[in-house]
Amino acid sequence: MTTQNYDKSRSILGSDESFRLLVDSVADYAIIMLDTKGQVASWNAGAEKNLGYRQNEIIGRHFSCFYSSESVNEGLPEKTLKLATENGRYEYEGWRKRQDGSRFWANTLLSPMLDSQGTLIGFAEITRDFSERKNADYARSLIEASLDPLVTIAPDGKITDVNAATESITGRSRIELIGTDFCDYFTDPEKARNGYQQVFRESMVRDYPLELRHANGRVTSVLYNASVYKDEDGAVVGVFAAARDITERKLSEERIKQQSREILELSTPVMQVWQGVVAVPLIGCLDSQRTQQFMERLLDRIVETNSPVALVDIMGVPTIDTQTAQHLIETITAVRLLGAQVVLTGVRPAIAQTLVHLGIDLSGITTRSSMAAGLLVALDLLKLQVVKKSENHRGD
Amino acid sequence: MNTLCQGEMPIDTENDIVMARKSVREAAVTLGFGVTDVTRIVTAASELTRNIYVYAGSGIMRWHSINDSNVGLELVFEDKGPGIIDVKLAMEPGYSTGKGLGMGLPGTKRLMDEMDVLSEIGKGTTIRIRKWLRQ
Amino acid sequence: MPNGTVSVIKIRDILLVTVPSDPDDITVSELQEQVLYAMERHSAKGLILDISTVETVDSFFARTISETVKMVALMGGLSVLSGMRACVAVTTTQLGLTFEQTLTALDVDRAMDMLSVAMDDKGDSA
Ligand SMILES: Nc1ncnc2c1ncn2[C@@H]1O[C@H](COP(=O)(O)OP(=O)(O)OP(=O)(O)O)[C@@H](O)[C@H]1O
Ligand SMILES: [Mg+2]
Repeated sequence: MTTQNYDKSRSILGSDESFRLLVDSVADYAIIMLDTKGQVASWNAGAEKNLGYRQNEIIGRHFSCFYSSESVNEGLPEKTLKLATENGRYEYEGWRKRQDGSRFWANTLLSPMLDSQGTLIGFAEITRDFSERKNADYARSLIEASLDPLVTIAPDGKITDVNAATESITGRSRIELIGTDFCDYFTDPEKARNGYQQVFRESMVRDYPLELRHANGRVTSVLYNASVYKDEDGAVVGVFAAARDITERKLSEERIKQQSREILELSTPVMQVWQGVVAVPLIGCLDSQRTQQFMERLLDRIVETNSPVALVDIMGVPTIDTQTAQHLIETITAVRLLGAQVVLTGVRPAIAQTLVHLGIDLSGITTRSSMAAGLLVALDLLKLQVVKKSENHRGD
Repeated sequence: MNTLCQGEMPIDTENDIVMARKSVREAAVTLGFGVTDVTRIVTAASELTRNIYVYAGSGIMRWHSINDSNVGLELVFEDKGPGIIDVKLAMEPGYSTGKGLGMGLPGTKRLMDEMDVLSEIGKGTTIRIRKWLRQ
Repeated sequence: MPNGTVSVIKIRDILLVTVPSDPDDITVSELQEQVLYAMERHSAKGLILDISTVETVDSFFARTISETVKMVALMGGLSVLSGMRACVAVTTTQLGLTFEQTLTALDVDRAMDMLSVAMDDKGDSA
């Protein structure tokens, strides 16, 4: 029975000699004829190349020998025949086993063969080695799975490939991006160019900060990690670069900065200590930005409270440099322009020494060593006097 | 999206200095600058437009918002006047070829965050200034 | 106060001059002339320059005002610059203009007090 079927298939094949030659000469595809039971009826050069068996070794054997024993136990070979018969064709990808036991990733197309009456007379199987495609697809899927925007760049700076994350962060499709200049998508193209050139020079960069510009103008702060990648001969063919979106991180840094600014403002309260007198103790280091804010707040408060005297206490300032002193002098000048006057208090010995050594002229400025002494000056300026209540008065 | 506001105006007459101050004030307020920064920017514009009027006769002032990672205002003052003989010297306080105090250029530099001066004798002067919005 | 108009009011022997909020250069120059002649005409001894509505003080404005103060002093008068806004004071200082020789006051009331005290002193010594 088996032999009969086999003979039949053979006769079909043999009917067209030129077709037979064509099939034989195809080396990349295994083209195999199976009889209705799945036994090999014909074998071409491609089949030998891909699966290892020579024609005389395999003809008549069941095609389940191309499957792993697990697959055979699961009944996979029979299932493929059944599905092919039911659907008119069946295509699948999976592992196939060679004669030597090694396996390869294959793409198989299985078609049932019918005679003129529509009776099944066998199957044609076309199998192709898809290992490389699988590797590529695998790499591709890994790249796609990455949430970080990835991009490959050629030595001339042109984009050769991107993943979906890059598409969404730039707002441009893969097709649009490929072949264009990597640098074009950054707020600072020159810096972007320096970045990938550095990779080609030093074979990698870490945490290179750049700002990506979306098609709609939105800018994302990113850190790039990149390295070169090589072909089989070890020659550098491009740069593989991964960006990390640090907008969130920057935002939280910004929030922290904002908070510390607020704390800072709290730490330099401008208090009205008397009708016509405001006082502010300065605590900590005075940088330009802080002095600027302090100056603006002090001036606003002087105007608000209509105070002609401002006590600025620098007891809590650990050190003073030329820059800080300059800012202080600026503040004092601005206060004077308003029509008010600064009395500088809390000038400690070390600060007094520094000011003189730096050659800073505070001669036009009233200074006192303590806030209390400063307050007396302030009251004097306002033509007020502190009088001790006498015991007699209390008695009255 | 990238440009919140922009504009330009010629500086030909004395009154254009006042108009320039008004336009710049409006732009700076729109962008959300605080009252002190608005005053700084307007004062700088006043200095540079007057320099155009006094030294070059006429010129143009352009302005536009910057909306990259930082938000700010950029102003450009351009004239085809005689140019500044020695830019480095002109940026020093107290240097004036006119009857000024020589405070306009160095003062503008202190008021703004960025300042570029490009000047060629006989060709003209272009000055670009920027102020960033402090959050 | 309509923009561009300088108002000059005489209160006893003091002139109160209110500067408009955004004066052009001509207005500022004319202000100097106007003030000097008014000082002479009214034999005023004190001058208050109220700049509380002024939004920008640039080098030209500062120079003209400083000059005026010096000229008034040469004519035997005393001037007080009054009501400079906080934002203007910061900017003016940063610009490098310090009005060094000029007296300043928070508002017109205080400027009046200052002038009357100073002029009384002068009167006493004279
Ligand atoms: N647009 C310009 N064209 C030609 N020269 C200029 C221009 N702007 C400035 N200068 C030159 O630079 C010098 C310094 O300018 P700056 O504005 O600092 O001072 P100033 O105008 O002389 O006085 P101030 O501005 O204090 O009233 C000027 O005296 C002038 O010689
Ligand atoms: Mg000038």
